Amino acid sequence: MSSAPAATEPAADPAGTTLAVPPAARAERLRRRLREGGLAYLFLLPSLVVFAVFFYYPLYRLVWFATHQQSRFRNRPATYVGTEQLTETLSGNDFFDGLVHSGLFMVYTVPLGIVLGVLLAVAAHRRLRGIKIFQTIFSSTVASSVAVASVVFTTLVNPEMGYFRDVSWLSLRSGDSALFAVSLSSVWQNLGLTFIVVLAALQTVPDELTEAATIDGYGPVRRFFRITVPLISPALLFLAIVLVVHALQAYAQIEILTGGGPGGATETLLFKIADPRGVRSLGERASLSLGLFVLTAVVAGFQYSMLSKRVHYGD
Amino acid sequence: MATDDTTLGDTTLGNPALADATTAESDAALEPVGAAKPPRATRGPGSLASKLAWYVVLSALSLLVLFPIYMLLLRALSNPLRYINAGQPLYPVSIQWDVFSRAFTEAEMGRALTLSFVVTLIIVIAQLLTSVLAAYAFAFLEFPFKRLMFVVVVGTLLLPIEVTLIANIETIRELRLLNSVEGLTLPFLATAIGIFLIRQGFLGIPSELRDASTLDGYGHLRFLFRVAVPMTRPIIGSFVVISFLGAWNQYVWPRFATDRNAWQTVQVALRNIGNENPDQLNLGFAAAVIAALPLLVLLIFFQRQIVRGLTAGAVKG
Amino acid sequence: MSGVTFDGVTKRFGDVVAVDQLSLQIHDGEFMVLLGPSGCGKSTALRMVAGLEEVTSGILTIGERVVNHVPPRERDIAMVFQSYALYPHMTVAKNIESPLVANKAARVDAARRAERVREAAAILGLTEYLDRKPGELSGGQRQRVALARAIVRHPEVFLMDEPLSNLDAKLRTQTRLELVELHRRLGTTIIYVTHDQVEAMTMADRIAVLADGRLQQVGEPQAVYERPANLFVASFIGSPPMNTIAGTLSLGPGAATVATAVGAVEVADPGTGVDGAPVVVGVRPEHLDLAPVASAGADGAAGLEGTVENVELLGHERHVVCRVGESLMTLRHPNDHPAGAVGERVRLVADPKGVHLFDARTTERLN
Repeated sequence: MSSAPAATEPAADPAGTTLAVPPAARAERLRRRLREGGLAYLFLLPSLVVFAVFFYYPLYRLVWFATHQQSRFRNRPATYVGTEQLTETLSGNDFFDGLVHSGLFMVYTVPLGIVLGVLLAVAAHRRLRGIKIFQTIFSSTVASSVAVASVVFTTLVNPEMGYFRDVSWLSLRSGDSALFAVSLSSVWQNLGLTFIVVLAALQTVPDELTEAATIDGYGPVRRFFRITVPLISPALLFLAIVLVVHALQAYAQIEILTGGGPGGATETLLFKIADPRGVRSLGERASLSLGLFVLTAVVAGFQYSMLSKRVHYGD
Repeated sequence: MATDDTTLGDTTLGNPALADATTAESDAALEPVGAAKPPRATRGPGSLASKLAWYVVLSALSLLVLFPIYMLLLRALSNPLRYINAGQPLYPVSIQWDVFSRAFTEAEMGRALTLSFVVTLIIVIAQLLTSVLAAYAFAFLEFPFKRLMFVVVVGTLLLPIEVTLIANIETIRELRLLNSVEGLTLPFLATAIGIFLIRQGFLGIPSELRDASTLDGYGHLRFLFRVAVPMTRPIIGSFVVISFLGAWNQYVWPRFATDRNAWQTVQVALRNIGNENPDQLNLGFAAAVIAALPLLVLLIFFQRQIVRGLTAGAVKG
Repeated sequence: MSGVTFDGVTKRFGDVVAVDQLSLQIHDGEFMVLLGPSGCGKSTALRMVAGLEEVTSGILTIGERVVNHVPPRERDIAMVFQSYALYPHMTVAKNIESPLVANKAARVDAARRAERVREAAAILGLTEYLDRKPGELSGGQRQRVALARAIVRHPEVFLMDEPLSNLDAKLRTQTRLELVELHRRLGTTIIYVTHDQVEAMTMADRIAVLADGRLQQVGEPQAVYERPANLFVASFIGSPPMNTIAGTLSLGPGAATVATAVGAVEVADPGTGVDGAPVVVGVRPEHLDLAPVASAGADGAAGLEGTVENVELLGHERHVVCRVGESLMTLRHPNDHPAGAVGERVRLVADPKGVHLFDARTTERLN
């Protein structure tokens, strides 16, 4: 900030250590700042509008829907019910089932996904002729969407015509195995992503480090678990978070492979929210959505704390 | 690591196809000490037996990845009824090579493809524009409530389309935008991920460049398009590819934002496989192949960008 | 304690020959420096001793044992890498301890391990850093950790791959002394790879000079300096480098001289040089002196004609750089010695006893 007496003569400041700012310059600076601020908001506007309309406004609406019960008649307004509907839904079986199924889905897809990804990456991280071909094959499933992966797995697990339809632990006819079979389609689809990320992480481990470990006397297995794994752990953590998020977003595979059956055994939380068969009321679905919101926030919280605690191995 | 000083964020990391090159390039980065060491072409002890063993392992793992794809192609090409009657063997039965063109016409995949392309293109371009502009504001401009705005952006990560689905569908319905291109694209015209990625790229530009261009008389817009964007081309390229992937693969939103077959995108059209007559099954499988093809092409030509985009945030570099 | 022997060892990478028929005997307890420019095969040779590269042909022995097919962990060697290769996720103590826990078969019990770690840390002045992680240490400290990790096992041979290159100049000088001191204290055989001839000269018991995968010369530093075996070694060792010029040898009744395009050089000992043979003359900067042009012909003495290009003042001595013919030659003088002025035409006279003769074709030493 400029010194109090604005337009000071040099004589009043014998040591010449303060810089007086004439009002004209200050006005110019203010104008420039306004221009910059204006430009900034202009640049931000499109994104902010989209965020407001399609991210934050819906949150408000969800709360509204959850706190109002739609009347059976199309033209009648909804009645305010407070948190009654919300608490009822969130303590009900439907939500619990959804949580359990989503949770199981995560348990099936995340550890298996990471382990397989590591397996593929370790195998493909070596100097062999033609290794790039294998690397391309292993990354290929990134080209598959969830829907495509579901159709692919239809050829394998569909009860009428799947190649493995008689394998009991993959059967879509029984509740437990159905969820597992559906999650396998996600595991397969995630292979490309997990492979690419783990391979990239492996490539950051300096050769000299593994050589030093060899000289120290570590055998290949101990070398992998004692040295390599700790060094790629940030990437593994990242993958875990991504796979958890994918699990929470599981929908297409369920709709295409089982339609939510048998008997609702594969209905994840999102599936219940989406409610393709229209069995739930808007208020219920909004309540479930808010439940999903909390779940997402918890996961995001992990993501954030992991990212900010990023271990820096700087050397 | 060796860095190219005309484009930022261009690392050799992340491209699985360059596993050999990374060592060569990191040797080159030791320039002042002692230039290019001899290429370690077949480094390390490796007997013929161990190499063979690895080839076997790699092939077995490839089977894991490729078998489902093989089955898809198999079932897409085989005559469905004859295939089932033959006991579902592992080889094709009565190949119908016209299944793909039939998928285009009878299964309306042509229409779905066009719609997907249009929607994806709009989303990618829009996301690019909004993200670049917003990222610029955060990286180079000062404005009131900057921190708050940043929180607003970060906050959207807590509200993915799955959470806000039913509310947004209501909004689209009320705006009469069900079954429309607008309905399919509006919620995705901006994204926090894009803003972060590109902002990070912008922040990597040395501040001396900003100073130099200010002295040259560059205003913000000119600096943005003449300096900032060209310098962050790799990151922007990666974002475009990832954005394309995401938009093309979308299922949940297009599924519920449309309720007429004519408005099905390529992914949503795949669920029709459940309704197919048994003798039309192969069309459904062929449709899946068609749905994946553009991305396969992308993977082949833009592997580096895809890898960089996917690993940004996971791997240092 | 063991020596290391290379017997006709060759290493091929596809078509590239990195090490060509290397035969070198490294004595037990010796500090042997493998010296040479980038790509000369010195690192490859070291890595073969470590077991990180396979020997294509030839026999490699450590102590009494042929180790061609012995894996690194069974060779009883320790290695210090250029980048130190410390495990970033382990503390200093754990890094140092690593060789003792890595090999399950050769495991030492916990108490003994702790003692060895303490001992190694003390020798290298790391005791107060034992609980830190490598990321918190300076370059010099990290290097010591790498050294501590190497000595904790009491191996037969230490291998060092340009360990000082990542240090700044001052630290480098200091660490050189410490390494020599360490060697004196431990007495273990050390094989040390570097491209820096100052390091080689100051640290080695013997130097092995390599170029293009082939051994050029091996000997004590002073011997290699005073009697380089060929032109390569002659120009590689010594700073400023030896001055060379091509000419024809003529053996006269009393003296031998080499006639060059820009003058003659008197040679005290022509060795196996033949009259009329094309040779390359080498003279170190400290054996050259300036004489004014005017005195040419007055004593008929030898001298190369040149012009003073630059006089470099180093504080403790002076370097006079002269253009002779198409190349530059450097002379070293103490400060008070009369030097030429820039641009002055001068005659460079060599001390005949300091003249080296090399066969122009084979580049081998003649005298």
